Amino acid sequence: MDWDKLVQLLVNGVTLGSVYALVALGFSMVYGILKLLNLAHGDVLMVGAFVGWGVLGWLGGAQDPTVAVWLVIVLMILAAMVGGGLLGVAIERFAYRPLRRAPRIAPLISALGVSFFLQNSVLLLFGANFRSYDSFDLVDVGVGVDWGPFHIWVMRIVVVVSALAMMAGLWLLVTRSKLGKAMRATAFDREAAAMMGIDVDRVIVKTFFIGSALAGAAGVLVGLVFFQINHFMGFNYGLKGFTAAVVGGIGSIPGAMVGGLFIGLAEAFSVGYIEDFTRGRLGSAFSDLVVFLILVVFMLLRPQGIFGKPEVKKV
Amino acid sequence: MRNGLIAAGLAGLVAAAVVSAAVAKPAAQAAPAQIAACTNVSIGFLGPLTGPAGFLGQEQLSWLRFGVQKYNKANGTTFKVALGDTQLKAPVARTQARRFVSDSNVLAVVGGSESQAVVVSGNLFEKADLASISGSATQTNLTNGQFRTFFRVVPNDSIQGPQVVTYVAKNLKAKNVVVIDSQDDYSLPLASAITRGLRARGVTVSRESVSADDTDFSSVVANVDSNVNVVVFATQVASAANTLSNQLREQGKKAIVFGTDGAYSPSQFKPRIGYVSVFAPDPHFDPNARALIREYNRYSKNKEFGAFGPATYMAGLVAMTAIKNACADGQVTRAEVTRQTRRTNIRSIFGGRLRFSAKGDPLPTKFVIYKISNGKYSPVG
Amino acid sequence: MSEHQSPSPERPRIGVDEWVASAEQRRERTVAGRIEDAVERAPAAAKLVVFALPFAIFPLFTDSEYLTQVGIDTLIYVLLALGLNVVVGWVGLLDLGFVAFFGLGAYLYAALASEYAGRHWEAQFVVPLIAVAVAATGFLVGLPSRRLVGDYLAIVTLFFLQIWLVVLINAEFTRGPNGISDIYPLKLFGREIVSPGGYYYVTFAAFVLVVAFLYLLNRSRTGRAWNALRDDELAAELMTMPVNRLKLMAFAVGAAIAGVAGALYAPQQGAVFPANFDIVLLITVYAMVVLGGAGSIVGVTVGAVLINSSLEALRDPDDASWLFYVAIVLGLVLFMRPRWVPLVVLAGTAAFGLVVHELAEQLRPSLVAGSTFGTARVDEVLDSWVLLPEGAIGQDGLPAGALARIAYVGLVAAILGLTLIRNRVWRAVALVPVLYLGACVWENVLVAQPAVARFVLIGAMLVALMALRPQGLLGRQRVEIV
Repeated sequence: MDWDKLVQLLVNGVTLGSVYALVALGFSMVYGILKLLNLAHGDVLMVGAFVGWGVLGWLGGAQDPTVAVWLVIVLMILAAMVGGGLLGVAIERFAYRPLRRAPRIAPLISALGVSFFLQNSVLLLFGANFRSYDSFDLVDVGVGVDWGPFHIWVMRIVVVVSALAMMAGLWLLVTRSKLGKAMRATAFDREAAAMMGIDVDRVIVKTFFIGSALAGAAGVLVGLVFFQINHFMGFNYGLKGFTAAVVGGIGSIPGAMVGGLFIGLAEAFSVGYIEDFTRGRLGSAFSDLVVFLILVVFMLLRPQGIFGKPEVKKV
Repeated sequence: MRNGLIAAGLAGLVAAAVVSAAVAKPAAQAAPAQIAACTNVSIGFLGPLTGPAGFLGQEQLSWLRFGVQKYNKANGTTFKVALGDTQLKAPVARTQARRFVSDSNVLAVVGGSESQAVVVSGNLFEKADLASISGSATQTNLTNGQFRTFFRVVPNDSIQGPQVVTYVAKNLKAKNVVVIDSQDDYSLPLASAITRGLRARGVTVSRESVSADDTDFSSVVANVDSNVNVVVFATQVASAANTLSNQLREQGKKAIVFGTDGAYSPSQFKPRIGYVSVFAPDPHFDPNARALIREYNRYSKNKEFGAFGPATYMAGLVAMTAIKNACADGQVTRAEVTRQTRRTNIRSIFGGRLRFSAKGDPLPTKFVIYKISNGKYSPVG
Repeated sequence: MSEHQSPSPERPRIGVDEWVASAEQRRERTVAGRIEDAVERAPAAAKLVVFALPFAIFPLFTDSEYLTQVGIDTLIYVLLALGLNVVVGWVGLLDLGFVAFFGLGAYLYAALASEYAGRHWEAQFVVPLIAVAVAATGFLVGLPSRRLVGDYLAIVTLFFLQIWLVVLINAEFTRGPNGISDIYPLKLFGREIVSPGGYYYVTFAAFVLVVAFLYLLNRSRTGRAWNALRDDELAAELMTMPVNRLKLMAFAVGAAIAGVAGALYAPQQGAVFPANFDIVLLITVYAMVVLGGAGSIVGVTVGAVLINSSLEALRDPDDASWLFYVAIVLGLVLFMRPRWVPLVVLAGTAAFGLVVHELAEQLRPSLVAGSTFGTARVDEVLDSWVLLPEGAIGQDGLPAGALARIAYVGLVAAILGLTLIRNRVWRAVALVPVLYLGACVWENVLVAQPAVARFVLIGAMLVALMALRPQGLLGRQRVEIV
């Protein structure tokens, strides 16, 4: 047994998983309240990544930032959260709200349109070149935690910790605050919530803002830890994030976190071990297949996910 | 239902407008007299302007337009560029190829940029006697004689593969190598050829694969054992090669990244130590080409470019020279342009002169290998 | 629109049932209604002939191989849209894996007639065989749909598409991303088809057969059951309809049509590659179905023709400019009431532009120093109307400074803001500067990148269409019972 590799894959999986979890949270929150599959969610992440990149350039670039490095990172994340959140609110207002009473297929197609629009707008405005965050210039690779033969770059810790912090904040918000209560009530029964005097529209807008802000932050984290961003990266993260949400149980916040980590680890370990496991017949190219198969199996055997409750159909 | 009828009427109107615009246009263009005077000549560009390889096509197009503008100014010609966006998709490339074939103003095509586009457009161009000159399609079998009017200014993978193998095995004395492909038509055959070549020389090779839209390679890097000396990455995306080398460093692996020609980009692939092979010497290092680069940087605000742009600039130069020669001898037909292309003998911006073999490969052909240390490129072989 | 013009008996009132029941009488009173009646009473065969006629005579008007190729592409798209319409429009299942069936058909053809496979079967056997094989696959993929509702089905089918692509790209027998590039031409009763014209008519024949088949199917017991299922699954189940079997049948029929399209498409291309069957194609086909009107055969056909021909026309900057301005003017004229309003708005925009242009010339000459990208005659007029800052667009077609980017984002924001204005007068007034900004952004940003701009427009079109007319151009509005 190669323990070094195992631990390394664990680190990779947790990093990737915490990003997926952030994306999954947004999916889950929106789905919980509107029963709407926001297929444009991944593209909010992409836009967030570009906002972060713009802020990085504005603050003097990775080599020579004009303010302290930690401040650069915080500002990037904050800007991406605001940018992503506002984008999410705009998407809700103009693409989804007119369709509240339309057949269920309409918002999905609208979402495909938004996704297409965002991707190609970014392509139009920033060109097709991949963009790099140059994170090694920002924080040297040598900075980090050393543990035996291991070296964990501090950026991975930053990513995981900030993702966890955001999730914890969200958890507190949903369970403790008045807004959280309203959100839970709206998710449980929108009409009843409206009758109880909850302004459902406002709750929905805030949900979109929070969910999309998390996605925007996730975009910056992806850029920081994986270096490169491009205009079509949103699709992949959106797909994986959605998978995470489903596996964890859609509509459930702890489910999204657990699902994200699960998918991240599944991906890392399938890349790492698929070749040993299939005796060299299948290479790392097939690792995505493993993730998809997990999802399909989950959907068929336990469609409500790990933490979800089976849905009771009301007539 | 009134709405329905109005909508139907609207649909009909737009359809009629579109169809009539489409039908009317080529008819108005077919004016051979104008072409005889060489005043209304277009060069088609066939490459991916959108989609995941958009960066490649955009860079090529930018250099092509730059070249056409420069050439027109210098020679008093009025060549234009007609766009054919392939979206990196073969069927789209085929439709666009037909468009160029049907447009009698198009006398030569620059492209297809990707080998797939050449595969589906080659016989259409051949039937129309239309020369196509690619600045980036390196798949070996494109010049096995199947497409008579296809030329390329870059050498093919049958040269790149062995050269990389020799350098890795002999000069770098690698014993353990990981070869990574990126699951596309450029990468897979090249990676397989390099794997075979290295194994034939007794090097231990393991294969890995990343998908084209992956942004994180850290788990693939975890598969790179600590005794591996070199990681060969056959990729079209320079920043992907950069990420790979960064993540190797992050995990404390000593292996050096060796990128194939797609990874060539001094502005994006900046490893601490690495190698990259490229089909043409970088004009950045050629004192004769410095003026050209300065001129390009004035022309385009986007200063980042790899090896694809300059090569396509060359392809455009070949096309324009051939058309101008055809105009000079009075026979302005596609067949004559193709004949003139075959007889190309112009000064290459990569040094030396550019000529074509009978099958359309450039002569002489050699890849150049650059060593990169701390992001600085220097040619080593 | 009818709300404003027709007297009150036309509007739904209390006692909606009566209103629905009197639909016949209301129709007889209008010209449009009578035309519609006549159309409905015409024999099916006559309708089919009229419907297919434009496609049949299209090649007679052109000798350009390019246009014939566009015609073939369009017919393939029409077939795909018709197949998707069965699943999405008639049964209401969201199938995001649809293009995989198209790919399967193409690859099966390659397996039955290519140098690589070493055989060359004749089309009259191959095409029906592929239809059956792909239908069977559709049946299998549809199996999960028995348990999955709505969105879950969408995501499972999307994963099916992803799995299909991963296998295609990485499996040995499909030759990976290099595809199978030595496919034999279609051989029909011993004769090989090589010309684009030949392929056009073969595809056309398939189109006619599919349309006839779908027409009959829609009127059959199964078709009616599908419609019932789409409108209310629970009610349909209570009426003892075999809901699961009906869904699987829809999947199979849709898949079979896509398979036939693939089988005709592979020999025409001569090569198949995994990258041909991806999400972009999926979204394009969805856009076609939705634009034309999900559920209507004529609708989705019109949608496919419109979208494919506009996408083709938008490739060329000159054509794209015409299309852009004509579409704006047409849109204004058709959708603004009363009739004189669009004229005023257009005149206002023209005047507004001249004033702004003049002011800019006096105050900041650099704002008008550039020139238009295109070469058409209309550009000379536009040169002295829109703001064209010098170097706003690098010669490589990308926005060079912040100005062009801000203008683009500003335009998107302005259009969205416009939809929030309720007052019709103010909306018309606000429309003037937005139109002008649109023209400026078009000339400065979009037209330099026609390849990207057309996708931006498709995306925007989908969103706008869903918000304004979710039933599409020719679709029937469905009454959702809550």
